[in-house]
Amino acid sequence: MDNEITLSFIAKSENEALARMVMSSFIAAIDPTIEELSEFKTVISEAVTNAIVHGYEEDGVGKIEIHAQRLDREIVVSIVDYGRGIRDVSQAREPLFTTKPEQERSGMGFTIMESFSDDVEIYSIPDRGTTVTITKRFVPIQESSRIV
Amino acid sequence: MHEVERVGDEIIIIRLKGELDHHSTTDIRNEIVPLIKNGSIKVLVWNLKDLNFMDSSGIGLILGRMRELAPIEGQTIIVNPSPTMKKIFQFAGLSPYIYNESEIEIMSKLGGIVYGQ
Ligand SMILES: Nc1ncnc2c1ncn2[C@@H]1O[C@H](COP(=O)(O)OP(=O)(O)OP(=O)(O)O)[C@@H](O)[C@H]1O
Ligand SMILES: [Mg+2]
Repeated sequence: MDNEITLSFIAKSENEALARMVMSSFIAAIDPTIEELSEFKTVISEAVTNAIVHGYEEDGVGKIEIHAQRLDREIVVSIVDYGRGIRDVSQAREPLFTTKPEQERSGMGFTIMESFSDDVEIYSIPDRGTTVTITKRFVPIQESSRIV
Repeated sequence: MHEVERVGDEIIIIRLKGELDHHSTTDIRNEIVPLIKNGSIKVLVWNLKDLNFMDSSGIGLILGRMRELAPIEGQTIIVNPSPTMKKIFQFAGLSPYIYNESEIEIMSKLGGIVYGQ
């Protein structure tokens, strides 16, 4: 039941919906609950929007890649950009911290990603880019009765 | 997609539909901001009943309007968020603005507040 895909697109805001749609389809075989699915979509949306808005300032040129892996009931997704990068990663993770308040960003993206997944790793080099790797484990109700 | 309805001089109902993300917030913001800047608005009602998805862009949109309403002591009311949206609002400290009532119930209550009936 393992699978793997790569998706590549440019830094345009209309691709946010596309990325969510592709990733929803990718996890369909896991048969997630409605809430698991909507939380997962939110996590993807946060990371992709960050790459577009912060990584590339929506230049419509920069490339974003999503690598997704399914290992049984675990999904590992990396969202990669080659944009401006993050100077201070621990500060970026703080709730309400944002470098774009004038664009009405609220500084909640990483907080949402952390709350709606099992692990969030951020690897970033200033002016080289950022890779955010998210791990989410799906445990449906019927699974618990099957476990020995 | 969204629907903006102005009720009298003081209330705006915003019915959000479909998916609210960074891409879709721009149009909604451009439509609501001039209405608030007009001056007489006292209450913004955000009805999320037909909204299937929202990320942190929704927080930014609602907080931004709350900031504009603050000098005129305007009120923010959020109804019908999904369980996931409820969590997102909670992370951002917006839970106090969620009301567990329908838009109709809210509107009949507001009649009392706004018009002093
Ligand atoms: N891919 C990225 N490239 C460059 N900087 C980033 C990237 N992702 C995040 N950041 C930085 O980290 C900060 C925090 O990100 P986070 O998603 O938590 O909040 P935000 O995007 O500013 O606001 P929100 O997500 O609530 O709209 C951003 O303001 C930005 O400075
Ligand atoms: Mg963000």
